[in-house]
Amino acid sequence: MKTLFNTGNAAITEGAIWAGCQVFAGYPITPGTEIAENMSRRLPEVGGYYIQAEDETASLHICAGASLGGLKSMTATSGPGFVLYADPYGWAIGCEIPVVVVNAQRVGPVSGITGAPGQGEFYFSRYPTHGGNFETIVLAPNSSQEAFNMTLEAFRLAERFRTPVTILADQLVADGWESFQLPETPEELASLGLGVVPRLVHPGPDFYPPSDAIDIPPVVLGRGTGAAASDWTPTEEGYDTEEIEPQMWHAHRLVHKILQHRELIDRHEAYFLEDSPPLVLVSYGSPSRVVRSAVRQARAEGLAVGAIRLQSLWPFQDALFHPKTIHLVVELNTDGQLVREVARAAKGETHFWGRCGELPGVSELLVVIRDILSGQAPRSMPGQWEAW
Amino acid sequence: MDHLAEKYLHPRKIPSTACSGCGLGQVHKKVLLAIEESGLGLDDVVWGTGIGCAGRQTFHTWRGDNFAGTHGRVYALATGLRVALPPEKKIVLTVGDGDAFGIGLLHLLHCARRNLGITVVVADNFGYQSTGGQFGYTTPPGMVTDSSPYGNREPGWFSEGSDIFAILKDAGATFLARHSSFDGEEAVKSLVLALANPGFSLVHIIYPCVTHFGAVSLKTRDREEIYRWFAGIFAEGEHPGPHFQSGIYHDARGKRPEFASALREWTKEFGREAGRA
Repeated sequence: MKTLFNTGNAAITEGAIWAGCQVFAGYPITPGTEIAENMSRRLPEVGGYYIQAEDETASLHICAGASLGGLKSMTATSGPGFVLYADPYGWAIGCEIPVVVVNAQRVGPVSGITGAPGQGEFYFSRYPTHGGNFETIVLAPNSSQEAFNMTLEAFRLAERFRTPVTILADQLVADGWESFQLPETPEELASLGLGVVPRLVHPGPDFYPPSDAIDIPPVVLGRGTGAAASDWTPTEEGYDTEEIEPQMWHAHRLVHKILQHRELIDRHEAYFLEDSPPLVLVSYGSPSRVVRSAVRQARAEGLAVGAIRLQSLWPFQDALFHPKTIHLVVELNTDGQLVREVARAAKGETHFWGRCGELPGVSELLVVIRDILSGQAPRSMPGQWEAW
Repeated sequence: MDHLAEKYLHPRKIPSTACSGCGLGQVHKKVLLAIEESGLGLDDVVWGTGIGCAGRQTFHTWRGDNFAGTHGRVYALATGLRVALPPEKKIVLTVGDGDAFGIGLLHLLHCARRNLGITVVVADNFGYQSTGGQFGYTTPPGMVTDSSPYGNREPGWFSEGSDIFAILKDAGATFLARHSSFDGEEAVKSLVLALANPGFSLVHIIYPCVTHFGAVSLKTRDREEIYRWFAGIFAEGEHPGPHFQSGIYHDARGKRPEFASALREWTKEFGREAGRA
């Protein structure tokens, strides 16, 4: 095991190389650019291909095309590029093509500030394309080590579920420098609980099964199987059809292949929940590191508070949230996104601490924690949120 | 069913669902004739399609490996696929004029810039006919369509003496040819040369739409009249519509390296050098 001191972007790069990624297509955008730069250096060293695309729509289409040709692929961007993925993201969902997508969120709306973190694409990562009738898989790292681990996990899930997987990072995770362990052998990789799923090839020509099974190899073209990949509603044989029954099976499969196997996706970390504290802070990504410090300090002061950090965002883990617990959701936006899902899932008292562009301070969170626990209306709540 | 359909196509997709009298079937057949003449079998060609009449009607007709792309992005999908597949696998894309020269033009130009090893067959029916007949970028000026009820006022890619082929040539395409769907052997010959080109080939084939373009723009449902008008585009002498020269526009096959092959070779060489170092 080698210890590297580098950015989350570098960790994602090394994770992709370990996972067997052979094609990266991307378009420069802060703070995701470094992943493209790192991949352009690393891929030739492992016999892979870096392609600089003409725009982000092309980036993900090129990755999806490479994956359709049998090569594992990844692209990376930030919010303004993530919107341009909508078209190929949907194509890859509908055609059931594995591909890994990284979004290093920066503060928005639109171009916002390139070098400041945001969490504005929580919902957008759930609905990254049009048409509905699908579930998405979204993972959220909060450190370089986790960025490395989750990249491997994202490739594994993409292959097993035949679908795009998004790594929803943020600018601080992407640009932040810290140490992480880089395995040098498959044994060391396994010691981190990580593994590599090789690309398998569906024997074809029929592919679209009326089933929610996973671990079915994806369609790969160019192997003479007569297989078809189609964004039209497919019949079991792959023909496009305008009949409703195959459309229902298609939608059912896209939703339930994920929901029926969600134990492979669901991940969270819990702090200080053993004594079922009345107040639980909820967060993901870089704010979760401040939340952890705040909760530790609150506990040191004798305050009964815990925290949940979501490591997988979608499908949403409703079962983690209970109506008798007060939830305080901490996010890097002022309009409130994660808080809406927590409120919906918990159906209890829910508060929102949200600010865009910079992290909360530990002391700021402590003020809010003390207020809520003493039954007062919390002061210092920068974000505005009203339940839908 | 003729022998080409038996040899190459899904029986369930023949006859096609195109309108009766549509010229697209002739374009489709020419591509198959060229594939046969080139000695290519089902395993040698991966066939991709765009959106619209040309894409939808040709999708999944090919019994070998095939795919349907998003509107205008099939060129970007093919870029990734080209890098993944060995050079001997031909990638053929059948697309329409809106797909290639409108929504997909950026990606098409970048494929030409890279000299990507694909054969793009643009089946041009002068506008968006599958959505009911709206003007596009090859619709002649002044033409009445469902979205230009007072006549098409937008300059097209062929207005005022311009030609999209000049742009594609400058972008780096290594084979460009243009034909009418009425052309026989000459069109097939161009397609054979296009398929033989290791780099970027585009064959533009104009075909008659009898349903929307005929009825709305030419104001007739008389097929013979519509076919005569389309034949006039490539004929000598006066024609109320555009005038085109049929044949090869640009042939620079083998003059530029093909993108994916060059990338693969460079990567191999890089690996060898790294191994020595």
